[in-house]
Amino acid sequence: MFDEKDLLIDARHVTRRFPTNDGRLLTACDDINLKFYKGKTLGLVGESGCGKSTFMRFLVWLDSPTEGEIFFHGKDITKMKGAELHENRQHIQMVFQDPSTSFNPKMKIKEIVCEPLLNFNRISRSEVDAKARELLELVELPGDFADRYPHNMSGGQRQRVAIARAIALEPEFIVMDEATSALDVSVQKTVIELITRLQREKNIAIGFICHDLGLIESFAHQVAVMYLGNIVEVMPGEGLSDVCCHPYSRALLASVFDTKMDFTKKIENIKGEPPSPLDLPPGCPFSNRCPNCTERCMQEKPKLVEIGPGHEVACHMFTK
Amino acid sequence: MSLLEIKNVDISYGKNLTVKNCNLNLEKGEICSIVGESGSGKTTVIRAVMGLLPGAGRVSAGDIIYDGTDLLKLTRKQWRSLRGHDISMIFQDSGAMMNQTRLIGDSYVEYIQTHEDISKQDAWAKGIEMIERMRLPDGDRIMRSYPFQLSGGQRQRVGIAMGMTYQPKLLLADEPTSALDVTTQAQIVRQFMELRDEYGTSIIIVTHNLGVAAYMGDKIVVMKRGEVVDQGEREYILHRSTNPYTKLLLDAVPTLGGKRYV
Repeated sequence: MFDEKDLLIDARHVTRRFPTNDGRLLTACDDINLKFYKGKTLGLVGESGCGKSTFMRFLVWLDSPTEGEIFFHGKDITKMKGAELHENRQHIQMVFQDPSTSFNPKMKIKEIVCEPLLNFNRISRSEVDAKARELLELVELPGDFADRYPHNMSGGQRQRVAIARAIALEPEFIVMDEATSALDVSVQKTVIELITRLQREKNIAIGFICHDLGLIESFAHQVAVMYLGNIVEVMPGEGLSDVCCHPYSRALLASVFDTKMDFTKKIENIKGEPPSPLDLPPGCPFSNRCPNCTERCMQEKPKLVEIGPGHEVACHMFTK
Repeated sequence: MSLLEIKNVDISYGKNLTVKNCNLNLEKGEICSIVGESGSGKTTVIRAVMGLLPGAGRVSAGDIIYDGTDLLKLTRKQWRSLRGHDISMIFQDSGAMMNQTRLIGDSYVEYIQTHEDISKQDAWAKGIEMIERMRLPDGDRIMRSYPFQLSGGQRQRVGIAMGMTYQPKLLLADEPTSALDVTTQAQIVRQFMELRDEYGTSIIIVTHNLGVAAYMGDKIVVMKRGEVVDQGEREYILHRSTNPYTKLLLDAVPTLGGKRYV
């Protein structure tokens, strides 16, 4: 469903293991294959601790995988060093969850949004004022905010500044780690509108980490569901609630509260909590919570298989 | 007679009038959701009901009547027997209300012994029973853990278990699910509904998640900048209300199969 020539980032067999104090290995990401396309959004959903942020951090060089390759324009970014790495950093930027802790509180807004430009010598010091104003107006903030400090702004305004900083270098790819979960719903809506507008105008690819399926469905082109370090389903974002079929995705979907649901119905939920990633079940990672678990699921780990256009699922229910 | 009546209440922090003219009635077994953006005064209202306004906060006008008694005229001693017994509160992160350097069981036993003349062993057993009733397996292990050793969902269940120990008539919940994953949130919401069905507990839930508010609340109160701008039955708020702010909030909630931006 996506054009292969628009392929921007191709992650292949990415695995990350962390050694623990008692000498065991914790697998945070297990053989992850994902593709990001130009100008499209990939939503990564899953519960806390499932490895979504760990994976996204590889793309911005905050960490590197134990195994696997991540190709950006055909080059493996996990092996980049020195000048090449520095050069490539400007193409991939990040927006963090909590804008109040991702800024230096002693820097003015204009210094914050222009810092990346100064780092790459795109502008000179004397151009900072004008450029900051331009960037702030791009994210629909008054240009006068340039002389403020982060603590003088509301959460929604700060998140807009974070977006302004991320787009300052005109990157090709932005990672957004729960960029709207700290915001009120009315503010969240306006921030999502801003993000989608900027994406259209500048053809930016976005990797969006989220745990709200209702939200991700509203603006993602493809959605990947992650559970205990494994991708269990990849599907198109549009009409997600109709096509998603992995039992875990269905459970996530059933846990969403929205204002148009049937209130007389008891809310469905999956039992218990995910097992510790140190102590994975031998077969399917979801086997101990799955309502349809069979003998085979306990022993054999399912692989991702294609069941429709752009739709892959890792579950024995869908393999013969 | 209503279980709880909040009549023309003003709440101030020092000289700042934070909540203006708040009115609310809650019947026995009824669930009321208070929604609004951050800083709209939702939490201040339920803290006032619990007599737990921080710092210089005080109720500067109006009455809060619980089951026929005026809560604002209670002495410290009367408060102590009421709080945690007839009225309980559940916080956003129940782990944060417990002493981090003490076992959960020790905090729990202290709480039980404050309200009841009971031996330590019996109090411990009562704690385990309540924790297991909240569907946490292996209550003894939980009692022997420190708050930071449990996951957010487990901690929240311990908080609910503590709050429900004496089957209070009124339960106040301040954003009880906002720190949790969607799946855990669904489990906790379901548990709240079961509390109401089993014990007839009245609940006031403060949340900014309109989906949760709509699912749980028989009644919904919408607050904005310290004022109640709209309130009514769920069906009225969701479908018939003409208040522009209520409409704006409802419109902003992402719904499955709803509007797409791309």
